[in-house]
Amino acid sequence: MTDAVTRERFERLLLPHMDAAYSLARWLMRHDALAEEAVQEAYLRAFRFFESMRGEEARPWLLGIVRNVCYTALQQGRGTAACDAFEDERHGEDAVAPGAVVSFPINPELAAIESADRELVHRSLDALADEFREALVLREIHGYSYREIATIVGAPIGTVMSRISRGRRLLQRLLADGIERKDTAA
Amino acid sequence: MNCRDAAKIMDAYADGELELANAVALEEHLNVCQRCRGIERNLGALRGAVQAHTGLERAPAELRGRLTQQFGVQRKEDRPAPRRGLLLGAFAMSALALLGSAAALNLALHPARAAPKIVYHINNSDTAGAALRTLNNHLEAAPGIKVVVVAHNDGIDFLLDGARDDKGQLFAPIVRRFRERGVEFRVCQNTLTRRKIETRAIIPDAALVPSGIAEIGRLQSEEGYVYTRL
Repeated sequence: MTDAVTRERFERLLLPHMDAAYSLARWLMRHDALAEEAVQEAYLRAFRFFESMRGEEARPWLLGIVRNVCYTALQQGRGTAACDAFEDERHGEDAVAPGAVVSFPINPELAAIESADRELVHRSLDALADEFREALVLREIHGYSYREIATIVGAPIGTVMSRISRGRRLLQRLLADGIERKDTAA
Repeated sequence: MNCRDAAKIMDAYADGELELANAVALEEHLNVCQRCRGIERNLGALRGAVQAHTGLERAPAELRGRLTQQFGVQRKEDRPAPRRGLLLGAFAMSALALLGSAAALNLALHPARAAPKIVYHINNSDTAGAALRTLNNHLEAAPGIKVVVVAHNDGIDFLLDGARDDKGQLFAPIVRRFRERGVEFRVCQNTLTRRKIETRAIIPDAALVPSGIAEIGRLQSEEGYVYTRL
């Protein structure tokens, strides 16, 4: 491919996804400037390896690169350390069927969830371990199907389903706890 | 289907990812199980809360411009404009958002424009001092601008009674002088509640708003404020 043809194709297929790329990076890095850096780096890599993108959908392919860049940066110590991540303390990943372990909290948590404000929702999402947060962000905010998410994170669909399910249970607990703390403080 | 099986597939059902046979079986179970219906409602509320309070973040205009120029097809109009154009042209808003000083420069170069309104976002106690110094420069470079400072999370610390800056000076009189120059300070009530800080610990020159983040959004969407954070 000539340079001009490559550029035209890259512009058409990948440049329209800058918002999606930035949004995912922002959620993973939890920092504006670092998210920008990650997106810049991801586009650089995407351009370099563009020829290897054959027959794949452009957006999941790009977001997979964004995700890799973000996690590499986080491992190298850039970005917010995930040490405060809210892990499921009882079981390892994929050890159990989705939804079977973390018991469903039931009402009266409904009122707590419904009155959660923006700050609490963001704080609770940020407190989730990376694999749960990215699955929920891709599902609820980006609106991707389980199959697309599986492509982006490089995991089987069953794993994605499990992470979304467990992530929601954990998030629900965090929201309810946040509300309780607010209530007792008031 | 029992409740345990229902719990396993509830999320996939809500996401429209369940094959028909399982979906039908789950719906039959939901018809007869009040407990699982409660769980389904909670799930719906959770998804609603997340979707209501989040959204796709837009890539900053400056980043978009850079990527388009770097990786897009080179067109004549894409070439970098003369130096001044970078600040004054299409990038003015993003430069303004990135740098308070850029905002000041832009205003200094455009005195004829209506005085803009700017919301300073402070969410970190470490940057509060620097933000106030920048704000001071900003006011000197662009007299007549309207500034609201919204503080939440650790960013409220400088508005606590008795708070001092890194040189040991009290913040309260500094804030008072800004107030006299028309700057308003607003503190997030949610932060106070969460951190169990009493309202009276906040200096009188700062006002309370229910949610700092919501206030920042409101100022931008309803009152035409431009967002700045250091």
